[in-house]
Amino acid sequence: MKKMKSLNIRNFAIIVVLLGMVGFAFAPAADRITVKGSDTMVILAQKWAEVYMKSNPNAAIQVTGGGSGVGISALINGATDIANASRKMKPTEKEKLKARYNTLGVEVACAKDGITVYLHPSNKVKELSIKQLSEIFKGNIKNWKEVGGADAEIKLYGRENSSGTYVFFQENVVKGDYAPSCQTLPGTAAVVNAVKKDPNAIGYGGAAYAEGIEICKVKKDDNSPAYLATAETIKNNEYPITRYLFMYLRNKPTGAMKSYIDWILSPEGQKLVIEMGYFPVK
Amino acid sequence: MKRFTMITLLLVSALFYNAKAQDATVNEKLTEVNDKVTGLTERLATDEADLSKLTKIKVSGYIQAQYQSFDSPSAVPNNAFSIRRARVKFTYEATDGIKFVLQPDFAPAGLSVKDAYVVLNDRWTKSFSLTAGKFNRPNYEVEYSSSQREMVERSALIRALYPGERAIGAKLEFNPQNLPLHLQIALLNGGEGYTVKKIDGTVIYDGTKENTDYDKYKDIMVRATYNLSLGSFGGLDLGAHGYFGSIRANSTKLMSSDYKTITDIKVGDAMKKNWVGAEFQLFADILGGMSLKGEYIAGKNISAVGFNQIDAVAAVAAVAEVKDANGVVTTKGVPAVAEVKAVPGAVNVQNYFSGYYLYFIKNLGKKNQFAFRYDYYDPNTKISGKDISGKDVVAFNADKKLNWTPKSAGKGDLATSTFGFAFHHYFDDNLRITLAYDMVKYEKVSAAGVVKDSYTANDGKSGTLDYNNTLKNNTITLRIQAKF
Repeated sequence: MKKMKSLNIRNFAIIVVLLGMVGFAFAPAADRITVKGSDTMVILAQKWAEVYMKSNPNAAIQVTGGGSGVGISALINGATDIANASRKMKPTEKEKLKARYNTLGVEVACAKDGITVYLHPSNKVKELSIKQLSEIFKGNIKNWKEVGGADAEIKLYGRENSSGTYVFFQENVVKGDYAPSCQTLPGTAAVVNAVKKDPNAIGYGGAAYAEGIEICKVKKDDNSPAYLATAETIKNNEYPITRYLFMYLRNKPTGAMKSYIDWILSPEGQKLVIEMGYFPVK
Repeated sequence: MKRFTMITLLLVSALFYNAKAQDATVNEKLTEVNDKVTGLTERLATDEADLSKLTKIKVSGYIQAQYQSFDSPSAVPNNAFSIRRARVKFTYEATDGIKFVLQPDFAPAGLSVKDAYVVLNDRWTKSFSLTAGKFNRPNYEVEYSSSQREMVERSALIRALYPGERAIGAKLEFNPQNLPLHLQIALLNGGEGYTVKKIDGTVIYDGTKENTDYDKYKDIMVRATYNLSLGSFGGLDLGAHGYFGSIRANSTKLMSSDYKTITDIKVGDAMKKNWVGAEFQLFADILGGMSLKGEYIAGKNISAVGFNQIDAVAAVAAVAEVKDANGVVTTKGVPAVAEVKAVPGAVNVQNYFSGYYLYFIKNLGKKNQFAFRYDYYDPNTKISGKDISGKDVVAFNADKKLNWTPKSAGKGDLATSTFGFAFHHYFDDNLRITLAYDMVKYEKVSAAGVVKDSYTANDGKSGTLDYNNTLKNNTITLRIQAKF
């Protein structure tokens, strides 16, 4: 008792045998890959899957959206093999993954994106600073005339809180709570549609979805030049709302999963990134 | 021709009238639909507002039903079904940064409130949070959810130091945004787990039920953890915690667990219970995820809060008052005094302890998990099993004239070690089935008959457990857990 007791021989032998047993247990390689998560990334993920399956007929890749939070929850629950996320995993999510799978997960940056601010084409306002965007989405600036536009009430459209874009925009632009009047919509396409129909609307989302609406130039601060999200401005870090898009895995990829991830990061996979309106990681 | 023109005119007029009438009907219909849409939009807005309130309430919980078989001959019954936990957790996020949590346990043994606290998050730096109410004490195994834990129960060390896991108090946490550091400091009542009795056996304070403190002394707990990244290999979490508390003395003797050192103290003095611990958790992405976790804690605790003896008082017969003829008292009357029998007091006991646990956990694919744990707890590091000889060498028997109950080393001083393993199968995120086996070993004493327990077995036969022998004390558990 005065000394700490060590394991006795019998217990030690049992440990050695059991450790030996489990040591040979490899994580099974996935035959069928399920991908779930970010709505921002869903069209890109679907394109990757479609093209990859054409050249690899044995591969079966199933892609669904739902939002980054939903994808990460599915990864933790074992309901998906890859979680697409347009934000980084939160520490609380990492803790849950640790508790369930005893790993910290694997983060793969697979594309870059500029969060685009959508306006109606009739809107006189063509550029906004980060501070102005923050005040608009907090609900402190309520009328377009306060930022050089017409005398009309600003209508806010955004994503649901399970969306990585919602979180990223909140943490990097709004820097506070969204205004209660901000209407949340399920998916970037829905935000684009809402802005298309409403002359006084403003919304945000991935650059790849910006069709039929006016893209607002964004300034880092009042004295900075305003930029559109382009491959050049994102590569040069000039566009102020740039982010990486991630794929999260539970473990280091092996087998079919590794081949798929390697292909996504290859020039062929990254070419599709550009084709779909996103920006390559390198 | 005139007649034909008239008919044509009439027909055109009728068609024009009909078209106008149709226009009017369409306009009416449009207005009606527009009104309906406006009405529905308003209703939708109201419903959305109501629904958004409901989304602030989260309900989660789990039920653990189990079958256990015990091989100890003294276990009666030696096998049983039971509900280990039946908890529902209600979380209400009133506004961003304010959270209320209430978690009752509906297990048939008795309804109890496991958690009841409010959390206030700092909305500016997003790094601080303040928790007040009844919550888990800051310790790795304590804070690790029972629904997630890889062994069916916490280690013996943690069960002894933090009975019931929760305490009432306030806790300040610091989680800097850009640093994987977590600091916790808590101020707690500290009476949880103590039962304090009066000399006649009446319970003054039952820490398992009380909603308040036994004394004025508040206990402080601190814990710091840091997460180190090991790149693609995994991660290492390192931490340390300390408990610095006191409990009010209820008798004038404080005995060390060497059963020799006795200190005179006053009733009401603070008796220290201080310990420190170090912990680690290593996570490695090797063949599908594994972890190694351990913690070592040592220090001194108060294992018993005593009470003072009552000294004997002899009976005194009453003496009647006598007066003379003038009414002057010549003999003063004395009331009778009843005899009071001496009752021995009980010392407060301060025990020096140490213990540790070590887990090895391995995930096997997405659905299965193996876990092993070795844990060791020595409630008294001042005496080993071989010192307990039955020869009053270490018995507290001092000051017999003061009528104190002798106290000597016994079963409560023996160390226990438990080797356990468990296999879990996850049917899905909600359902987990566990097969666990725990082998508990007690430290042996020096000679037969020194420490023993009498029992009546399941078959009605009597027997004795002698702690000089290796005792059977293994448990097999088959548990199903449903979580939502």
